[in-house]
Amino acid sequence: MKTKWFSWLSHPESLLSCLTLVMLGWICNVDPTFLQWEVQKELSTHIWETALMALPMTLIILTGGIDLSIGSTMSLCAITAGMLHQHGVPLPMGCLAAALVGLAGGWFNGWFITRLKVHPLIITLATMAAFRGIAEGVSQARPLSGFPKSFTWLGQASWLGIPLAGWLFLGCLALCAWIMHGHRLGRYIHAIGYNEVATRYSGIRVNRILLGLYCLSGLSASIAAILFMARRNTAKADIGVGVELGVITAVVMGGVSIFGGRGSLFGVCLGLVLIHETREFVSWHWSRDELNLLALGSLLILSVVFQQLLGHKRSS
Amino acid sequence: MKSRSEASVQGVYSTLTLLAFGLIFGACSPSENSQIGSESESILSSGKRITIALIPKKKGLPYFTSCASGAEEAARELGNVDLIYDGPTDGSPEKQASMIEQYALKGVDVIAVSPNDPEVVAPAMRKAREKGIHVITWDADAVTDARSYFVNQSTAQAIAYGMVDTMVQDLGGPEVKAQVAIVTAYLTAANQNIWIEHMKARMADTYPNLDLVAIKPSDEDQKLAFKVTQDLMKAYPDIKGFFGISSVSFPGAAEAVKQAGRSGEVMVTGLATPNSMKAYVQDGTVKSVVLWNTAELGYLTVQVGAALANGTLNPGDEQFVAGKLGEKEVAGDQVLLGDILVFNQENIDQYDF
Amino acid sequence: MKDGFQGLRLGKWMLGLLKQRAAGLFCFTFLALGLVSLINPAFLAWGNLRDIAVQAAPVCIISCGLMLVLVLGEIDISVGSMMGVLAASMGAMVSATRWGLSPWIAVILTLILGTLMGALNGWLIAYLRVPSIMVTLGMLTALRGVTEVIMGGTWITDLPPGIRYLGTGSWMGLPICLWVCAGVIVLSTWLIHRTPLGRRIFAIGSQPRAAHLAGLPIQRVKFLVFAWTGFLTALATLVSVPQLSVVDSGIGVGMELLVVTCVVVGGTSVSGGTGHLSGVVFAVLLMTMISTLLIFMKLGENATYWSRAIQGLFILGAILLDHLVRSKKSS
Repeated sequence: MKTKWFSWLSHPESLLSCLTLVMLGWICNVDPTFLQWEVQKELSTHIWETALMALPMTLIILTGGIDLSIGSTMSLCAITAGMLHQHGVPLPMGCLAAALVGLAGGWFNGWFITRLKVHPLIITLATMAAFRGIAEGVSQARPLSGFPKSFTWLGQASWLGIPLAGWLFLGCLALCAWIMHGHRLGRYIHAIGYNEVATRYSGIRVNRILLGLYCLSGLSASIAAILFMARRNTAKADIGVGVELGVITAVVMGGVSIFGGRGSLFGVCLGLVLIHETREFVSWHWSRDELNLLALGSLLILSVVFQQLLGHKRSS
Repeated sequence: MKSRSEASVQGVYSTLTLLAFGLIFGACSPSENSQIGSESESILSSGKRITIALIPKKKGLPYFTSCASGAEEAARELGNVDLIYDGPTDGSPEKQASMIEQYALKGVDVIAVSPNDPEVVAPAMRKAREKGIHVITWDADAVTDARSYFVNQSTAQAIAYGMVDTMVQDLGGPEVKAQVAIVTAYLTAANQNIWIEHMKARMADTYPNLDLVAIKPSDEDQKLAFKVTQDLMKAYPDIKGFFGISSVSFPGAAEAVKQAGRSGEVMVTGLATPNSMKAYVQDGTVKSVVLWNTAELGYLTVQVGAALANGTLNPGDEQFVAGKLGEKEVAGDQVLLGDILVFNQENIDQYDF
Repeated sequence: MKDGFQGLRLGKWMLGLLKQRAAGLFCFTFLALGLVSLINPAFLAWGNLRDIAVQAAPVCIISCGLMLVLVLGEIDISVGSMMGVLAASMGAMVSATRWGLSPWIAVILTLILGTLMGALNGWLIAYLRVPSIMVTLGMLTALRGVTEVIMGGTWITDLPPGIRYLGTGSWMGLPICLWVCAGVIVLSTWLIHRTPLGRRIFAIGSQPRAAHLAGLPIQRVKFLVFAWTGFLTALATLVSVPQLSVVDSGIGVGMELLVVTCVVVGGTSVSGGTGHLSGVVFAVLLMTMISTLLIFMKLGENATYWSRAIQGLFILGAILLDHLVRSKKSS
């Protein structure tokens, strides 16, 4: 009986669920106003972009790769749409162009990774500097704003009590869940992470899958950029600085192995919830931003240490 | 790869967790739902306790810490003010906007913000105003329709002109031909970019002998400011002056000039708190530092915030009595603090912040 | 006669370098140097080269440690935040208005603190078997918070001359930090090539399973390497922070990114097992040179906004060249 208990807890997902529930329960005691639906709905607008980019990132990390360039891709896409808008191109066309730029950025990363066999970490480190640099150069570091009301409305509107960005995320989540569980692609992605060479030899088109995933990542960054513009009514070369760190933190917190092959979308969602609620609650309750850094860092370390200790118990 | 049983176990977890989330949110929601709005209303009308959220551009900078000390003093004097002082430690405009949204939801009475980027922060400020919260700016202004008052220590133009004028004076007058360079914070830093615009305009209009050869970012990294200044001095051997226009880039630039042994020959000026520049002013690397009385700025901001919440400051007023500071001029929607301070060898020891 | 002989040896040494993994980088660095010297010969002035070396030294010191971490197949992205904590605590220790300790004690305590922080990383990673990316990602965030708490909203502006000497002083005509950096490079070379520990690091990185079966103390080696990285970070802090008169709370922000970029551009395999110190040193030089190069090329004000893009393209160029050289070699 006891061993069963531990094996149940050793799943990162179950540990995270417990952790999240305990935390929410505690918050409910300390400061119930924080958990009102209205408050949560407003605060949730801070996480949707990160959440959206976390989905392709999960798939990429499952294959054993990483994409550090998403924050910079975001700024490049935003600048594309903003510049086009400023030059009189209708905004929908601008957004379309931004999506294309995002795809192109992802394709560029993917091409280096699949064709030249450059490690994803290296090439995305380089494009992280290059993309933001291009955005800075094109925009001369100036902010672009003054988008039409109908566009900024997108950033505030909600349907059935959930912001539109939230619905977008749920849709993408459903799509990714289908890919991972209902389609053979999901198995291939896990397989690449386990053993890329063996997967290649089994006749699976690894390169094509990888290229697709990095394009997807670029696309998600462009959607995030459009969401940001709608929410803050500004496009600027410094948006999305450090976003990649938040996304990767959520993904690894959700129990996805950085070496690939292991992890689930559900865990990542829990990771996102945990990080988001911690961050918002710490500044809500204590109003000290430095505590936030401490809390997030220790939470990440403690959660993995727990996972490790409990997982260890099971195997011994 | 996941086995079938493992996958189904996961499914069970997801359902259970989602149910539990629903329960918690459900349990917390209904009882408190109406509290936020009504509470702040009642405080506003009776004028009892006032909560003021003071948001700096970047928490942890001595400049803002000294503003906060003045703000605390005002809160103590007024007696009925609860002061919250918090801001992004990394100076990110997006985080600042998120904080404004949080305070608006929490239902504070006054949000006083020093916007890191007027454009990014403006939508959040407008939303807060729609909720009936008094939103004012201090230290730097935002888009004018996003706030009710601006506690103005000096306009962007005055700061920029002040720095250029000080430089010209240090160099020995407007007839001296000189190359100068600007070491800024980030290339995208909104406030610095506005100053740079005005500085360029001032040089073009009034001092044609100043030749601006380079604008370099220091990414709020003193080391980089040091390095950039070092490189500029070597690449442009005739360069005569540096503007360090953020409190991090100024000491970095001054240190580079000092270590190159060109103190007194290459001028450095800019914005910084006197404490971080004392050593350079005393050894002559820096002749003058431009700033204002930061503690008084924080003090005045809290006074204005409290007066707005109490209803004692109304549109159209031309005077405002701010506690120990006495009467301050109100120009339209701006409360003016007073003059810029210039610290030099004679007076810098009198200030400690 | 003797000069000719030495020239020959130098040539041979350079050829040897070309055969190594770092070859592409080597060419690229010299290409860039040559180009800029043509545009602005002042770049090659002794004073400028020394300043570049001084800027590169702390990065190089940390890179020497991080390279070993990467060779083990692990990663450490907490070095930047560690530097922040170390700088803040060092400043607080020596500042007359805070603790007012003597510089000697502060130096020793800083080194101990750095080693301890590295050891904490190492203990979590080696003995509790937590993936290094998660531990150091957590530390990256948490230690930044610690720095803010130590600084308490003010800066340290009164570093005593004793500690400033570490950053600004020089010995036998060379700045202290260059001596320290040279010492670390020599020590690392010796460690990698001449000691069992060095061989074990490479063995564990290239074949963890085989190393385990062969009875190598994997946990102890990992622990030691992380502690060593912490020590080197403290060393880098000690020689670089006192170059400035003010200790602010932003010291070390982004350092981890720079160091990781240098180490991987220098040809160290991200998946462990291979890495050359020479490549890393060249990469560090290249990366610290880029921004200076751009200033010396005097591209005008418009180019200011393109400088980050050019830096990115530099890294891309180095990667491409490295790829070309390697594919030539293998064919």
